[in-house]
Amino acid sequence: MEMPKVTRRTFLKVSAGSGAAAAAAPRLLTAMENDLGGKDFGPVSGAERKAIPVNCHVCNIQDGAIAYVENDRVVKLEGNPEHVSTRGRLCAKGNSGMWYSYDPDRILYPLKRVGARGEGKWKRITWDEALAELTEKLDAALKEDPNTIMLKYGRNRTGGSIDRFMKTLGSATVVNHTSVCESSKKIGMEPTWGPDIETPDFANAKYVLNFGSNVLEASYFHNPLSQRVTEGRVDNQMKIVTFDVRLSNTAGFSDEWIPVFPATDGAVALAIGHVILREDLQDSDFINNWTNVTVAELKEHYKQYTPEWAAKISGVPVATIERIAREFATTKPATLFTYRGPAKHLYGSYNEKACMMLPIMTGNVEKKGGYCLPRGMGWPQPMPEPGKPAHDSVLAHPPEYPLAAHKVSHLVPFWIAEGRQKINVYFTYQDNPVYTNPGSMAVWGKLFKDEKLIPYLVSMSPFMGEETALADLILPDCPYLERWEPESMPNSLWPWLGIRQPVHKSLGESRENRVLLRDIIHNLDPDGKRGMKQFWDFKDGEDYMRHHFDNVPGLKEAGGLDFLKKHGVWPIYGKLDPKTGKVSDKTGREIKADYGLYLKELSAADMAGATVDGKGIISKNGKAIGVRREGKNCVGFPTGNRLINVRVDQWADYGFNPMPTFKRIPWHEAMKEDELILSTFKLNVHKQSRTAAVKWLAEIAHSNPAWMNPETAAKLGVKTGDLVRVESAVGHLVTKAYVTEGIHPKVVSIPTGFGHWEYGRLATLKLKDKKGEYSHGADDPDLNNVWWDDKGVHPNNIIPVVADPIGGSQGWYDTVVKVTKAGPNDKYGDSEGNWEKHVAAYKETMRYAYTGDLHRKMHPEMAAWAGPDSVKHKAGGGH
Amino acid sequence: MLDTVFSIERANGTYAIPDEIDAGQLREECLARASIYRLLAGVFVEEPSRELLAALRDEALLGRLSEAGVRFAPDFLASGLDELAETLACEYATLFASSGGFPPVESVRLTGRFKQEPNFKVSQIYREAGFTLNKGRFEVFADQLGVELLFVAELLERCAAALGADQSVEYRRLEKDIKRFWTQHLGLWVRGYCRLIGRASNHSFFREMAKFLGGFAEEEIAAMGLKRLEDIDMGRVVVPKSEIKVEFNPDEPVCGGCPPATDKPAGGVHKLHDLRF
Repeated sequence: MEMPKVTRRTFLKVSAGSGAAAAAAPRLLTAMENDLGGKDFGPVSGAERKAIPVNCHVCNIQDGAIAYVENDRVVKLEGNPEHVSTRGRLCAKGNSGMWYSYDPDRILYPLKRVGARGEGKWKRITWDEALAELTEKLDAALKEDPNTIMLKYGRNRTGGSIDRFMKTLGSATVVNHTSVCESSKKIGMEPTWGPDIETPDFANAKYVLNFGSNVLEASYFHNPLSQRVTEGRVDNQMKIVTFDVRLSNTAGFSDEWIPVFPATDGAVALAIGHVILREDLQDSDFINNWTNVTVAELKEHYKQYTPEWAAKISGVPVATIERIAREFATTKPATLFTYRGPAKHLYGSYNEKACMMLPIMTGNVEKKGGYCLPRGMGWPQPMPEPGKPAHDSVLAHPPEYPLAAHKVSHLVPFWIAEGRQKINVYFTYQDNPVYTNPGSMAVWGKLFKDEKLIPYLVSMSPFMGEETALADLILPDCPYLERWEPESMPNSLWPWLGIRQPVHKSLGESRENRVLLRDIIHNLDPDGKRGMKQFWDFKDGEDYMRHHFDNVPGLKEAGGLDFLKKHGVWPIYGKLDPKTGKVSDKTGREIKADYGLYLKELSAADMAGATVDGKGIISKNGKAIGVRREGKNCVGFPTGNRLINVRVDQWADYGFNPMPTFKRIPWHEAMKEDELILSTFKLNVHKQSRTAAVKWLAEIAHSNPAWMNPETAAKLGVKTGDLVRVESAVGHLVTKAYVTEGIHPKVVSIPTGFGHWEYGRLATLKLKDKKGEYSHGADDPDLNNVWWDDKGVHPNNIIPVVADPIGGSQGWYDTVVKVTKAGPNDKYGDSEGNWEKHVAAYKETMRYAYTGDLHRKMHPEMAAWAGPDSVKHKAGGGH
Repeated sequence: MLDTVFSIERANGTYAIPDEIDAGQLREECLARASIYRLLAGVFVEEPSRELLAALRDEALLGRLSEAGVRFAPDFLASGLDELAETLACEYATLFASSGGFPPVESVRLTGRFKQEPNFKVSQIYREAGFTLNKGRFEVFADQLGVELLFVAELLERCAAALGADQSVEYRRLEKDIKRFWTQHLGLWVRGYCRLIGRASNHSFFREMAKFLGGFAEEEIAAMGLKRLEDIDMGRVVVPKSEIKVEFNPDEPVCGGCPPATDKPAGGVHKLHDLRF
């Protein structure tokens, strides 16, 4: 048979007409990357790897992940396609999580300090020895006063076991880290509408106002929300306007980036509100029905916040404020998102409140594409539970900050130094304030080095962070891939429960935290006679999880913990569509979220015995349970009166303005021409403290030059790469300049997460050359291809404490600095703070507390307030 | 390295106990070697016990060690046993068991992380040889230096038993196993690691014992005829940048401080985007 002669030209001709036929041919092979996860194969063996679902915990977004395991070793992490929020995707940090397990600097055994604190001299001891020593210390402390046992935690996701431990000991001295995180955002929101955060429905919005959030790189809830931002932007032609001092990647992705003067977001938001109300663009029905103020009251209140007033303060032109106000109010649906930008200031709570007023006054609350309440799920605790401690702790609930329900942890060192509460034993868990807090080593390092103030410091940690390096006893905790933990996070419009479960055997002799705590209690109360052991009656972490999950309605029927062990998350709302990347139901359509949660009707059982007052508030047993509107008995908002409290009366009790307001930071008003404001920010591959030792991430970002505007740089004669000295009232640092238009001219901005002096070989890049001090893996084989030798400069030493007198939050972005070209004695990496100067800053910020002498001066509008003696100290708001 | 492995295989079936070496003498040598392995394992597997230290300070042993080039300083010889044990426990933690130190673990030395391939490979070898790893005072990795040394000691004792029972085939099989283990594991990292510990230790005990182990390793490798066995660890303090393989110019400023436009980038390197940080 003669074969036809096929030239390139002829087959190309054939090809041109073959599309339909080719398309009709069966497709038996698809590229592996088209599969949306859930399976993985060893490249050498071809065998399917064991897939174990977990919740990621590199940062705190709680993405659904799958760990692929070969030979009891994690070889890969990827997103869990069954997780409704993160839909099979993990960020760079999440993909790198196994570095924590295998870090060569990981602490695998109990270590006892043998040199001076921080000297780095240790002795390995057995668990029995460690627990015996600790028991002795705890026994002595318990005899004196249980509150002398303090526990401060950072990223605590134990699901209640830390609190259980401290309650078992009878100590109320439990302090979190939230005041250096986002507490004033929470306190701005909680008394207003209940929850501490919002869920913006980005995917369905048409317009977004973003105040100071870099959600495409960091913040709550980076991965799930950045997916929805992208969908809204690309699929829904959503417009985004970002107010930020810096051109973050989120600002760069926005339609407009509006650089505001630091700490003035609240003024801009109030002025936008002013325009909306002035031009009658508000949703009057929503305001009148669902808030505790009337439209008339609101209009009257907002008259003072003119665009001209805000423009003068913020630098945002009047025309821009007016245009954005009209766009936001007339584009439906619209939403708003904030993060640290507005909240991390002296009066951050006011700023947050001013921002959240915009979706409220435009009626965008709980609507598709709008500003929604967070959705989460809870779980029961193992029984029996220990009761509350007998006495409160002044460190946990300082009387000067009665509204700061999330505590004021960054002022604790000063209070301990003042002798306000004695400490005998200090536990630290997943915390590192020596690095992460304002003042860092100059403040917390000073505290921990003082053995009179902190006689015994116990760190429960897998890593030698800056704080752990100062400990007396280190109990090796497990990284997240070796722990059992319950999870739920409101990071999308669909609530879920999830777990972390060990994906491999814990290394060395590390013990997961709840087991470690149990062992401490069992040592203290071996025969149960002290009444402690009864609260810690579980075999292991899995057994503890069964108490949490085996009786949750719905989950129980699905299999309880066994379901979660298999899937990692519950419920499973649908299947991830490989074409759209969205979760779809059986019909192939994307699953729909529930909106209008506050409109859900109370049942007849709920209403039995309930009363309705003249304003429609439904009460039962002395408690508001809902709101009657248009004949419907709605559940309302989770506040005390089931309404949105535009006016927060509780604030007025302490002389704060109960209505939306703005306070300019006094020392910003007094800035000199050559002074700047220092801000900090996170990069997308790092979190605050614990990623610098992750090689894949450190390779991407390892140094942190100071961003400066060309206008500012020109005045100083500085160009990119030049060394600059940044000096605040409490210290100075020397770093490199990065000159860019992407920063406000009055701001110098330095990323955090760099410049470690502890945390292992990769974070510190220590190359000690003196004999006997070889350390930090200078010759480590894995450093063979570490091509960088710049670890960055840590800025926190030179940032003084500032406490929002309402929310208690640290004013991270309030520091006034002077930037100059580095002098002959300055060297790159210098970073020094001064304890005495930090103490002065602490005393200054206390003057703004409701008990301080500046409180009245800052609140002339509250002249009728009768002063601090007029109020009884009450428990703070929030949850 | 592969040649070495294959050379073992090529020798399969042709090996015989050399006529000039008496089986009894060979057995004694195996036991002697096993004893050295056990001694060294005792030094590195966990903090040296009071008993081990007392045995090591025996005059006769000290003399023999001295002849082998091991000369302890007064910090080892002059202090009381309890004090010495305490001092060495702290030194052990600093060197081997705390952050910033040098874990004596093959996975760390060769891959930079705990519990990687070497750990699983040696675990499999132990299993196939019929061993299980038990917890001592502390739980250690299967590829910890002391455990790897103990494994060879066990095999050598089996060798001796085989020779005592006139089981030459079994002896040859075991000897090959030892060679293979050295080729695939100990030989790749112990020599460089010993040099490193020899430099890094503050105390003459670990410094001298590391030197002794290093010398012993060289001798074992030579005696077993393991040629071209690569010392991957090398135990260097700083790896020269010229040896680092990167796609970028490692000398490039990392802060965006790029050279002026007239400067040519280093040949063959890809510059990162200015805004990469």
